Amino acid sequence: MPSRADIRRGAEWALRLALVAMLALSLWRATHEGAPGPVTRTTRASDLTPALAAATRTDRIGALEVEMDAFPAPAQRAWLVALRRAGVEVRWRGAVPVMAVAAERVREPRAAVRMLLTSGAGAAYVLSDSAGALDSLMVPAAGATLEAADVVGPVRARQGAYLSSVVAPEATPRREVLVLGRASWESRFVSSALSEAGWRVRARIPTAPGVAVTDPAMLPLDTARYDVVVALDSTAADLGSAIVRFIATGGGLVAVGSATTMGALRSLVPARAGTRRPGRILLDTDSMSRSDLPLRPLEGLSLDALVLERRPGAVAVAVRRAGLGRVLAVGYDESWRWRMLGGVGGPADHRRWWSHAVGLVAPERDVQPSMVGSGDAAPVAVLVGALGPASLARSPALEVGQRTLPLALLILIVAALLAETASRRFRGAR
Amino acid sequence: MTDFVFATAQYESGDWDSAPMVPANIIDTIARYTSIDVAPTGVIVGLSSPAMFRYPLLYLTGHLPVRFTEAERTNLRAFAERGGLLFVDDHNHDIDGTFHKTATEELARVYGPLRPIPNTHPLYRTFFTFEDGPPTTSHELNGWGDNLVHKTLSGVERSGRLALVYSSKDYSSEWNYHPDNKRFLSVDNTKFAVNLVVYALTR
Repeated sequence: MPSRADIRRGAEWALRLALVAMLALSLWRATHEGAPGPVTRTTRASDLTPALAAATRTDRIGALEVEMDAFPAPAQRAWLVALRRAGVEVRWRGAVPVMAVAAERVREPRAAVRMLLTSGAGAAYVLSDSAGALDSLMVPAAGATLEAADVVGPVRARQGAYLSSVVAPEATPRREVLVLGRASWESRFVSSALSEAGWRVRARIPTAPGVAVTDPAMLPLDTARYDVVVALDSTAADLGSAIVRFIATGGGLVAVGSATTMGALRSLVPARAGTRRPGRILLDTDSMSRSDLPLRPLEGLSLDALVLERRPGAVAVAVRRAGLGRVLAVGYDESWRWRMLGGVGGPADHRRWWSHAVGLVAPERDVQPSMVGSGDAAPVAVLVGALGPASLARSPALEVGQRTLPLALLILIVAALLAETASRRFRGAR
Repeated sequence: MTDFVFATAQYESGDWDSAPMVPANIIDTIARYTSIDVAPTGVIVGLSSPAMFRYPLLYLTGHLPVRFTEAERTNLRAFAERGGLLFVDDHNHDIDGTFHKTATEELARVYGPLRPIPNTHPLYRTFFTFEDGPPTTSHELNGWGDNLVHKTLSGVERSGRLALVYSSKDYSSEWNYHPDNKRFLSVDNTKFAVNLVVYALTR
């Protein structure tokens, strides 16, 4: 039976052997630096390029974990995807803000850029283009919409280090608008408002049986010449079938008051104008607003009608798609009073409202999708699409990387050396 | 929709009501020749009242000196900016008369300088065609007033549309007769008023 001293000596030998083995392993690791292995490298998105370069140059990095403190640039994102396809496991984590920005040209002659921003409620954003800041805002739950006369380069929405960007489509000239109505102040001032807003307006205004004030070359009525027809009353009835064809091929129609009740247009309009409700009597004031106008409330809304404006107990404006075109029904048939009696801002308000109404139904054939050419309009969606969902947060203790293994080996070597030396010293040996 | 209402402008100085039969004759003419829905009676509206903005075509005449109040000037400026058309006629038919001198001075303060309206203007072709520009009046042909036949009207445009038409031809006398007497005329002398109304409603 071995004595305690034999056992102790045996343990010392075992420690010596272990030391030699661990030193051999360290030597092997030192001489085999380029050997493949399941090494995970952790980096931040704000400092991603060196890690990408390292992961590309050496095959020792088997996994790359990215802390998303910012969104990677499109090139970096493509690089990550390429690494993944090359066999490197790419993971990402971090509480990134869900955000998306879109930009479209308003379908009006001025062709302003409308920016739509959606994000978590209450998030603070700064919008800018290549020329500088456009605006800053807190995004409400329903998202935010802003308009700018024009933008230079891509539109960027920034929340801290997180950036979303989109390229606005190019502005293209609008086609003409045909106004059909009887000789009245409504015809006159709707035409004026649209002209002043930059629309090229042709009009046909009957003034007597068989006599009309008509712009030359009014017909044919087709989408090659016109964007929108504005029918202010039932005098458009003789062009009913032409208007139906025009809408079917992508044109827009604004039908006002009695124009919504014309038989030919019945299948197109989203609703029909009902019995007139008088406006507010404002004898001695110059402050009429749209809500003070007389109204023919829209009735019998079609199932696909979208209500755009309501008045107490009534629908004032509604829109629907018909064929390839769109049709807007308007219950205000005396909007000219708003322009004349709406105070200093009346003409501008009236002009803006009418231009917007016509723009709503104008064809969008020349509007390019804002996502084209820009992969960062919805960066989180793009990120998930490229790299998959975020990985769960992992404990650093579970990670085994190129730095942790040599350190553990060193600790084991030192501990074994100390134990073996102490054992020999305590038993009096050298 | 509401009918067209013929409105006569009332101003604080002068005799704004010097031609009281004109509205009835013009209303008769509009109803006779056009399909425009016209109110059977005209209205009188003060230039200092916001109510004037309810009538985008205003007729103004008189014999006596015209001095607008500040409120009248302010309203007329807004009226022009919003798209209203003011038709002013010198009931004296006299470019040396007090109405012409004072009215043109006041109008120039409000609208800027008056310029001749070319006789090719759409105003003369928008319903009836007047090849030679504004039709002459019997007062011109009879040598009354300034003893001149005025070849053109004057005016001011805003955004490519007439905002002011000024006449020295004395249409107020020409059109100021009882409507029942129109049947005795071989040629209806109020046809030019139709062009004024149609122009205002369509251009």
